[in-house]
Amino acid sequence: MDTMLEATGIGKRYEDFTLRDVSLGVRRGAITGVFGPNGAGKSTLIKVLACQVPAGAGTVRVFGLPCAGRDAAIRNRIGYVPQEPVFYMDKTVQWNTRFAAAYFAEWDGGEFYRLLDRFKVNPLKAVKHLSGGQKKLLALAMALSHRPDLLILDEPAAGLDVLHRRALLDRLRAFVADGDRAVVVASHITDGLDEIAEDVSFLHEGRVILHDDRDDLLSRWKWILYAEGARDPTVEDGLTDVRRQPYGNRGLTADFPAIRESIAPALASGDVRVENASLEDILIALVKEA
Amino acid sequence: MFIALSPSHPDPMYKQVTDQIKDAIASGALEPNERLPSVRELAEALDVSAITIKRAYLDLETEGYILTRAGLGSFVAEVDRDELKRRKLDEVRAELTRLVRSSAKFGITAEDVARLARDLERH
Repeated sequence: MDTMLEATGIGKRYEDFTLRDVSLGVRRGAITGVFGPNGAGKSTLIKVLACQVPAGAGTVRVFGLPCAGRDAAIRNRIGYVPQEPVFYMDKTVQWNTRFAAAYFAEWDGGEFYRLLDRFKVNPLKAVKHLSGGQKKLLALAMALSHRPDLLILDEPAAGLDVLHRRALLDRLRAFVADGDRAVVVASHITDGLDEIAEDVSFLHEGRVILHDDRDDLLSRWKWILYAEGARDPTVEDGLTDVRRQPYGNRGLTADFPAIRESIAPALASGDVRVENASLEDILIALVKEA
Repeated sequence: MFIALSPSHPDPMYKQVTDQIKDAIASGALEPNERLPSVRELAEALDVSAITIKRAYLDLETEGYILTRAGLGSFVAEVDRDELKRRKLDEVRAELTRLVRSSAKFGITAEDVARLARDLERH
């Protein structure tokens, strides 16, 4: 497998908490989503992955190169959008852009203004007059315009309305469509990034509690709904988050393929039904367990 | 009675409730004159609004599956079993059509499907 970014055993004391032993790989051609509750450590991890702050322990290798040193070879190939992008607020978008363009080895001005147009950001406005969402999109346009191979984004969808969020998701999908590049994005599941992430990492209290292919994950985790009368110990075995109600119980299984055969007769008779779980369901179950 | 609602199902919630109550009546899980749970009780148990259940009960009443008596609640009506069977057959026909058409793409004939169905009944 072709890995663009490899983090191994990352530890980091930062502000008021600690990242512990975080390992994850970012596949070329994929969007990797880092999800977790507030305060799980997403922003700290993103800064370490983007080589913005050094890891306290462990190593980060980007394009096979160690992060240490923050050299131009890495900087030019990473498009980074922090949670709170920094601009000269009193200056116009255009003025800020000249400043950013000079910082990178390459700059595609045509692409930049196409993106501003698509994101409906007026280049002549002072940055302080842009909305929070527009500032995010401006930072994204800058990150995309120096032709990076890897995009690293911290909550890019926060504060965006539905139309701009759709534009963001479409742009990220297009970014990885040719299979040569990759995206790492920290986000809340409710922001819609989970719909486009091929790989997902769940972060909780500074640890990765799950890192997996999204489709594999969703094919293993299912809601099992079953009639009270048909309560079969083999159905209920191994279910978590069981809710009993007078007109049918439900519980979450983390390994549907393993129980598929044993519940087949009850499925056929209609006493048991299977329903897809969402990433949110899975995250909540794992956080409860942890 | 087993009612399982799915937010991802293409049918709206009230329709899922009416369909599953119809199934329970057809299968005998709910018998004629049996009292249905109150709107509020069912809404709470299924985690949906009372409006959703009210709408489902109203549709069931319009279609003659249940009777609602003021102050007493809703009860399963005396339904014509042949009529239930006819309605179910329409559903089965629709599903079979889909099945036979998708099978045909793989060279599986309607006769093959029928043979499979007969095998199922034997087991």
